[in-house]
Amino acid sequence: MGTYILRRILLMIPTLIGITFLVFMLVALSPGGIGASLKFTAGGQMDQTSAAIQQAYLEDRYGLDDPPIVQYVRWLGRISPIKFGTRDQVAPDGERIALPKALKPPLLWSWFADELPAEPDNPTHAWPTDEWASQGLDRKQIAFAKSQTFRGVTNEYARARSGYIGAKARFEQAVAHYAKSPGVDLPRAVKSDGKPRERVLRKAGPDKAAPAWPELAQAGEAMIDAYERAQLARADKLAVFRAKPYREAGIGIIPGSLSLATPDFGVSFSRSRPVMDLIKEALPVTLLINLMAFPIIYLVAIPSGMLAAVRQGGWFDLLSGATFIALLSFPIMLAGVLAIGYLANQEFLGWFPVSGLSDAAADGFTFLPSLGADGEWQRGWIVDRMWHIALPVACLTYGGFAVLAKQTRAAMLDNFNADYVRTAKAKGVSRHDVIYRHVFRNSLLPLITIFVSIFPAMLSGSVVIESIFTIPGMGKLTIDAINLRDRELVLANALMIGGLNLLALLVADILYAFADPRISYD
Amino acid sequence: MARKKTNTEETIRAVSGVELAQGLGVREARGFWAEAWGQVLRKPIAVVSIAWICVVAFFAIFSPILASGHPLILRELDATGAVIATSSPLLRYLSSADILLLIGGVLGPIWILLRLRLPRSNRALMLLIGALQAGIISVVGGIIASMVTKRDVADWVREMEQGRLFVPLASAAIGGVISAVFLAVPTTGRFLVRLGFVAFVGLVAAWSVSVTWNPKLSNFDYRQREAAGEVRAVYTVIPFSPTQSSSSLYLKHPGTLMSEALPEDEARASAGDPVFLLGTDGVGQDVLSQMLHASRLSISVGFVSTSIAVVIGVTIGALMGYFGGWVDLLLYRIVEIFMAIPVLFLLIVAAAVLPRNTYVMMAIIGCVTWTGAARFVRAEFLKLRNQDFVQAARSAGLPLRSILFKHMLPNGVTPVLVDASFAIALAILIEAILSFLGLGPDGQPSWGKLLANATSDVGAFVWWLAIFPGLAILLTVLAYNLIGEALRDAIDPKLKKARV
Repeated sequence: MGTYILRRILLMIPTLIGITFLVFMLVALSPGGIGASLKFTAGGQMDQTSAAIQQAYLEDRYGLDDPPIVQYVRWLGRISPIKFGTRDQVAPDGERIALPKALKPPLLWSWFADELPAEPDNPTHAWPTDEWASQGLDRKQIAFAKSQTFRGVTNEYARARSGYIGAKARFEQAVAHYAKSPGVDLPRAVKSDGKPRERVLRKAGPDKAAPAWPELAQAGEAMIDAYERAQLARADKLAVFRAKPYREAGIGIIPGSLSLATPDFGVSFSRSRPVMDLIKEALPVTLLINLMAFPIIYLVAIPSGMLAAVRQGGWFDLLSGATFIALLSFPIMLAGVLAIGYLANQEFLGWFPVSGLSDAAADGFTFLPSLGADGEWQRGWIVDRMWHIALPVACLTYGGFAVLAKQTRAAMLDNFNADYVRTAKAKGVSRHDVIYRHVFRNSLLPLITIFVSIFPAMLSGSVVIESIFTIPGMGKLTIDAINLRDRELVLANALMIGGLNLLALLVADILYAFADPRISYD
Repeated sequence: MARKKTNTEETIRAVSGVELAQGLGVREARGFWAEAWGQVLRKPIAVVSIAWICVVAFFAIFSPILASGHPLILRELDATGAVIATSSPLLRYLSSADILLLIGGVLGPIWILLRLRLPRSNRALMLLIGALQAGIISVVGGIIASMVTKRDVADWVREMEQGRLFVPLASAAIGGVISAVFLAVPTTGRFLVRLGFVAFVGLVAAWSVSVTWNPKLSNFDYRQREAAGEVRAVYTVIPFSPTQSSSSLYLKHPGTLMSEALPEDEARASAGDPVFLLGTDGVGQDVLSQMLHASRLSISVGFVSTSIAVVIGVTIGALMGYFGGWVDLLLYRIVEIFMAIPVLFLLIVAAAVLPRNTYVMMAIIGCVTWTGAARFVRAEFLKLRNQDFVQAARSAGLPLRSILFKHMLPNGVTPVLVDASFAIALAILIEAILSFLGLGPDGQPSWGKLLANATSDVGAFVWWLAIFPGLAILLTVLAYNLIGEALRDAIDPKLKKARV
C-alpha cells in the first residue's frame, strides 16, 4: 500500500507539471500574453517615453522580457522543492532573496563602442568580524549591521539597474525614431509594439550620415555608460550576497549546487502580495462551501436512491427518476439567479443575504448566539456565517445529489440480481435483512468512487456560485487572475486546483481498498 | 427482393428445412442503429425531447427571417405617395452563414426525404459533409474579407480590393479550392453525383461569400422614415433585431406594446404596434428576438464542439487501445492532465485569454472535453485488439488506418455515440456558463448572457430575464439528456437486465 501511494504521488508530479504548462502556455501565447495588465497600469497620463521606461522596468522586474518557456522553467525552479545552484537566503521578515539576475547586454552596442565594458572582477566582501568583536556587539546587532550593508548595496544596485533599463528604453525609442527617419527608412526594423528588430538593424548597419544619427549615438552611449554602472553595482551586491548576510533557505545537500527548500510561489503582479497569502485566504472559503455540501449530498442521496431501488417501478421510483434527471440538467447559474431573485431579494421574500460571507458587523459578534446587552438576541458569528452560505451551498448540492442518487439506485439494482442475494433469499433471510445487510453494504462500494467525479464538478460549480454570490473564494480569485493575466496567481491556482483534484482521486482509491477487501494495490 | 415477392404471391405450401434455415418468412433484421432508434422512438418522453430539439433547430436556422428589425419589404415613396422602388432590407442584411443555413434548411430536408435511388444514409452523409464544406468556405471567406478590408491594409491590397472583378474572383477561388479538397472525400461511390453535389454546394457558398463581402452597418431608421412618409414597410413576424436597442425601451415587462413603451410622439411615428412578447433587457433590446437568435449559438456549439471532441477522443483513444504499452502510458498522461483539472477551470482560462468568437469557443470546448470519448474507445479497443478479425486484418497487411478505423472502430464506437448526446448537453451548458460569466462570443446574443443580466450588483432582479433564457437552457439540456438516457437504455443490455 505504501509503495502504491508513493508511486501515485510521484506520478502526480508530471501531471501537475503538464497542467501548469498547459495553462501557462495558453495564457502566454494568447493575444496580449502574460502580464497584459501591467501594460494597462503603466498607461495613464504619462508621456510616451516615461511610459515605456515604466513598462521596461516592470518587465525586467518580473522577467517578462524573457521568452515564455524560460519564464515557465524559472517558475518551475522556484516552486520545486529541489533547488539547483546557489541557495536563496531568507531575510528576518521572511523575504526570499535570490542571487541577483544577470543583466542583458545592451542591444547594438557594437555601433557605439569597440568592446563591451568587461564584467568587473568579482570583488570579495568580508564582514569586519574582528572589529565588531572589539566593539563588543552581540549577535542581534551584528545581524542588523549585516542587513544594513546588504540593504545599502541592494538599493544602490536597484538604482543602477533601473537606470540601465530606463536608458535602454530611451534608446529603443531613439532607434524607432531613427529607423523611421528620412535617409534611413527601415520601417521593418520596428515591431508593431515599438520594439526594434535587432537582426534587421544589424544587417543594415549604422548610417552615421543620417540626420537622426547624433540623437541615436547619444542615447546609445548613455545606455552603455548605464550598463557599465549597473555591472559594477551588481558585482558589489554579488560580493555581499556571497558573504551571506542572512541565513540560507532550506537544507543544503551538495554545497553550491543542490539543496532542498520550501516552494516559493512568488508575488502576485496585480495585488503585490505573496500568492500564498491570497490562496490562504481564498482556499478555505471554497473548501468550506464544498465540504458543507458533501454531507448533505450523501445524507439525502443515499436514502432516496435506496428507496427508489427497493420500490423499483413504483411511483417513488418514477417520480425520483424524473426529478434526478431534471436536477442534473438544471443549469447551476439559473439556480443561483433564481435563489438570489426570489429568496434573497428584498422585493420578493428577502430571507437570505444577497452576497458575501458574513455580515458587515460580524466582527463584533460573539461566536455563538447570545443575548445582547440591550436584551435582544444576537445571532452570533457562526449562525451568521451559516445564514450567508446557505444559498450557495444549496445551489452546489443538487447536482451531485442527483448523480449520487442515480448511482445508488443502479448499484442496488445490480446487486439485486447477484447470486449471493438469491442464495440469501433461498436460505430464508428476511427481505429487510437482504436489503439492508447484504445489498446495501455491497452497493456502498461504488459510491466511494463517485466522490471523484462529483468533486471536480463541484469545484467548477463553485466558480459560478462564487461569482453570483460574490464570495471571495478560489473561483473568484482565478477569474480575477486570468482577466489580469497575473502569471504567478494563475499558475499557483492551476497547481492548487489540479493538486486538490488529484489528491481527491488518490483518497478515493485508498478508501476503496479499505472498504473492499477484494481490492489490493500491492 | 425477388424472393420476397414470390413469397407473398404464392399460396401456402410446404416449407423445407433448408428454406427455414434461410429465414423464410422471418422479418428481415434491421441494423443495430435502426433497432436502437426504433426503441428510442417508442418512448413518448424521448419523442417529446426530439421534437423540442427540432423546434430549437428550426429557430436556429430561420431566426434571421423570423426576427429582424429590417423590413421584409420596403417601398420607397415619392412626395405624392407613389411607389418609386421596392427592396428587401431583411434579405440584404443577411450574413453569409444566414444565407447558407436558410438554403440548407429548405433544401436539406427535401434532399433527405426525396425518393432517390441513392441510399438515404449515403445522402445524409453527403449532406453532413456538404454542410462542413459550406461552413468552411463561409468562415474562410469571412476571414479573408475582413483581412483585405481592414483599415490599415497595404495600399496595393486596397487597390486590388477596389477592382470590380476582385470580389467574385476571390470568392470563386476560395470556394473552388475548398471544394476541390472536399471532392476527395468518398461520401458516395458515384463520382458524377458527388461532383455535382460538391460543385453545387461550392457555388452556393462562394456566391453567399461574394454577396456579403462588405459587412453593412445596420441602422434601424425605418420607423422614423415611415412616419415622415418616405417609405412604407412590411415587417416579419417579430419586427426587432437582437442588436436593435433603444434607451427608451429599457427593461419593459413582457407583453408591453410599443405604443405603451415609447413617448407619445415617437409612438405615433411607428406604424403598427408591435408587442415585446418577452419584454426587453437592460439596453432596450427585445428578449424574444435575442432568444431566437441565441438558439443558433447553443445548437451549433453543442454539435460542433462535440464533433471536435469525438474526433480527437476517438483518434487518441484508438491509438492508446491498439498499441498499448508506452504509447498508452504516454498518451494516458495527457488524458490524466485533462481529467485532473476541472473542465470549467481550463475553459475559463482559455475563454478569457483567446479571442471572443463563436468558432474559438466551439474549438476550446471540443479540445477540453474529449477525454470521455478517448477513454471509452481505449477500453473497447483493448478488448478488440486480440480478436480474430483484427488479427486477420493485421496479418493481411492492411494499413494501420484501415485496421483502426474500418475494422475496429465500427465495433467499438457505440459507447462514444451513446455518450455524445450527454456530451452535447454538457457543451450547451458550458457555453451558457461561459456566456454567463461574460466570457462568451462578443456581439452575439446568448441565453447565458441574457440570464447574467437578470440580477445586478445593486440587488435588482428582472424575472423575465431569468425565467425565459433559463428555461430555454434547462429544456434544451434536459432534452439531450433524456434522449441520451433513452438511447443508453436501448443499447446497453446490462442496464436492461438490471431493470427486469
